[in-house]
Amino acid sequence: MGEIPRETTGSFDRVVREREIQVLRTAFRILGNWADAEDVAQEVFLRLHRHGLEFASDGAVGGWLYRVTVNLCVDRTRSARVSQELPELVSRDRSAETAVLMEEKKQRLMTALALLPAKERAAVVLREIEGLSTAEVAAALGSSEVTVRSQISKALVRLRGILNREEV
Amino acid sequence: MNEQEMREVFRGMREEPVPADSLARVRTRVEERIHRPRWVSPWKVAAALVMAGCIAAGFLFLRPVRMPVRTVEPAPHEIAQVQPPPEIPVRAAPEPRRARPRPVEAAPSIVPGMLIRIETPDPDVVILLVN
Repeated sequence: MGEIPRETTGSFDRVVREREIQVLRTAFRILGNWADAEDVAQEVFLRLHRHGLEFASDGAVGGWLYRVTVNLCVDRTRSARVSQELPELVSRDRSAETAVLMEEKKQRLMTALALLPAKERAAVVLREIEGLSTAEVAAALGSSEVTVRSQISKALVRLRGILNREEV
Repeated sequence: MNEQEMREVFRGMREEPVPADSLARVRTRVEERIHRPRWVSPWKVAAALVMAGCIAAGFLFLRPVRMPVRTVEPAPHEIAQVQPPPEIPVRAAPEPRRARPRPVEAAPSIVPGMLIRIETPDPDVVILLVN
């Protein structure tokens, strides 16, 4: 990578700081461990650097980042089994009991999520956790909205099945 | 856990913070990769050299065996040896014939009393020799 104009570098740094949480968290939700998520996030930003910052809007950057993140995560899950490291996100200040219960539910859900096919998992993460619209998820996954709705619906059924089996 | 509860848990995860050290590591690694000098890493150079060596070796040792082409050597130009024509026996130049000495006609013997008549161009003149 050659010399980059200072202005571009500054813009790039700004985008990285604005979007790093989005990228890292999405990757972690799909992959289930921080080490892999960090690798993916790094690759996503390097690709952004190569791609350049010529996006139509700020939202377009976000969409592009989601798409690349999901693609890299799906590729990674195809090439290697996703480790099912339990999430270690920093908990908010809550009452101890509620926090423990919430944490337990969260961990079970994340463990079940890791058992879903990569595309379904990505659809659930983007739609349910990241809060994207169905159209945005479809754009990120490169599929239609109908497919996304179907994937999410199937995924939720499967998750419920997995969690109910655990409870039995 | 029903669907409603699941969605609730998911929503709760939406704004969870990300470990600061992970963010810092990503930032640092991206910075390093972007601002890394452009020189080629030594292992890449080594790999390129090995590959070049392999290609060279391939050319040298694995080149297709060529069927021996029979080179038809052009027949050496025969130098026509021009045989000298058989020697024609050169006849020795005939020696000039020696003029055989002609027998000298004996001069008519002059008989006494013999009359010799010598005619001259002039019909009127006739020389008469009387022995």
